[in-house]
Amino acid sequence: MSRSTRIMMSVIYWAFVVYVFVPLILMIMMGFKDSKFIGFPIKSWTFDWYLAVFSDTEVLTVFGYSTAIALLSTVVSLFVGTWIAVLLADRKFFGRAVMFGLMVLPALVPGIISAIAFRIYARVLGIEPGMFAIIWSHAVHNVPFVCLVVMARLSTLPKSQREAAQDLGADPLVTFVRITLPYLRPALIGASVFCMLLSFDDFVRSFFLGGYQPTLPVLIFAKLRSGMSPEINAISTVVLILTAFLGIWAERSMRRMKKET
Amino acid sequence: MTSDAPTQGAAAGTAAAAGPRSLWSSLARSQPYQKFVDVLFASQRRSFLILLLPPIIWVLSQHLGPIVQMVSVSFTDAYPRPPGQEAKFTFDNYLLFFREPVYMMPFMRTLIYAVVLTFTTLIIVYPVAYFLARHVKRENRMALLLLLLIPFWVGEIVRTFAIMILLGNTGAVNLILKSLGLIDRPIPFMYTGFSVSVGIIYLTALYMLMPLYSALEKIPASYTEAAADLGAGAWTRFRRVTLPLTYEGIGSGATLVFLISTGYYGTPVLLGGPNTTVFAETIAGFFHVAGDKWPTGAAFACIMFLASLALTGAFLSGMNRLSKGGRK
Repeated sequence: MSRSTRIMMSVIYWAFVVYVFVPLILMIMMGFKDSKFIGFPIKSWTFDWYLAVFSDTEVLTVFGYSTAIALLSTVVSLFVGTWIAVLLADRKFFGRAVMFGLMVLPALVPGIISAIAFRIYARVLGIEPGMFAIIWSHAVHNVPFVCLVVMARLSTLPKSQREAAQDLGADPLVTFVRITLPYLRPALIGASVFCMLLSFDDFVRSFFLGGYQPTLPVLIFAKLRSGMSPEINAISTVVLILTAFLGIWAERSMRRMKKET
Repeated sequence: MTSDAPTQGAAAGTAAAAGPRSLWSSLARSQPYQKFVDVLFASQRRSFLILLLPPIIWVLSQHLGPIVQMVSVSFTDAYPRPPGQEAKFTFDNYLLFFREPVYMMPFMRTLIYAVVLTFTTLIIVYPVAYFLARHVKRENRMALLLLLLIPFWVGEIVRTFAIMILLGNTGAVNLILKSLGLIDRPIPFMYTGFSVSVGIIYLTALYMLMPLYSALEKIPASYTEAAADLGAGAWTRFRRVTLPLTYEGIGSGATLVFLISTGYYGTPVLLGGPNTTVFAETIAGFFHVAGDKWPTGAAFACIMFLASLALTGAFLSGMNRLSKGGRK
């Protein structure tokens, strides 16, 4: 590659970085604006919006609610996803391809269709809109992500380790708990952070399956529709910092896992 | 426990270690557990069935169930059924879509947006992925890739809000244009197809970046070097060697971006206006009002799902043919 193309490529890369970061940076800046109206220019700065957010019981309640949903749905996804991954990982059985296809299905259905399909199904099963319905839809939606990550990790587990454990008299359950599970640890940590973020950030399913209590993205959405104030920026910034850090941490631990093998 | 310790010491050590060693050891040796295991794993076949059945039940009831139920509701005249009435099978919900031109516009708009946005995302992201995979030194790649991932961990609504601040009448773009003296009055970017597109590209770019990056990363440098030795110029090397080897990555990236972008609901509601209504909003409309419109909403969702699957399938088979042709 010639020098000029190399320079051009790096300019494109950095331009893309700017495109990706600038909206978020502007959004963060706006949270410090000392005025009720969102918009440039910013003449004076303040921390008041953050103080308002941290003393706003509604926002804090919603934050706790979203966190609880994220944690509980992640537990379900981890359990089911790992189970399916173990089934699919090293066995060849009739219908394996069909099973794989069905496993990834929730990840491929476009958001709005997934949301209303869950809405209808919840009605059929008699589940009222609310916390349980949201947890359930998030759990189902996140299973494929757990499963794919765990399958990738399982594919690098030497079969001999499990065989050795079985030769020494361990039954399949003990083998799983003492050999497979410790090996899966980094994958499970990565997958659980990933699931929590997907759940915490999810809007469309929470919107259609939620009752009167909104989740954080639904609350931000409602506030944006009823009129903007820098308070929304402060909330969003807190969410942004939390999710970005968790995401990076999980991504790093998963990439390290890939390198190990 | 060292290997050269006296036998007695080693035995004592084992005994001492067995106590706190783990709950698991003692549990695994307990009588009830042994019985439980004997029943559970009596034969290879039985333990496989135990492994197999729960996933089958889960996948059928939870992954396939909602879709099947949506399809079946789309063929009924009313849902939830009025008490004491049998559900009637009907095609009316589907026919309504073709009868009323009001619904055709958002539908076509959604598909056209999705196709155009997928293509635009590809054009924007390809050089970025190329740069990362082929120009950056291996040890720096991770950092530069992670840098791009940060914004993509932030949720849909927060990022949409960020775009609103960027493009609003008092937004950053208008401020800059105004201070440069290029405009007197702010350009109304918001609530147009433009703002919706910028928002959706902002949300989906990563789904294009990752498959492209991993496809490009896999190509050995020797391929392009060989082409160069044979006298191929930079453009020819890209068109005849690199590009065909990334058809698969393009295929999966484009599929993801296409399917995901047709499914956004919050973003077009916040960034769009009356002239940019997408089909997701049409579908959602049937669920906001009283329950008796649900079958129509379900039917419309089925139509959209089928249409996007058909388009994706056609695109993927096209890409497949292309990459096979390239390998000849």
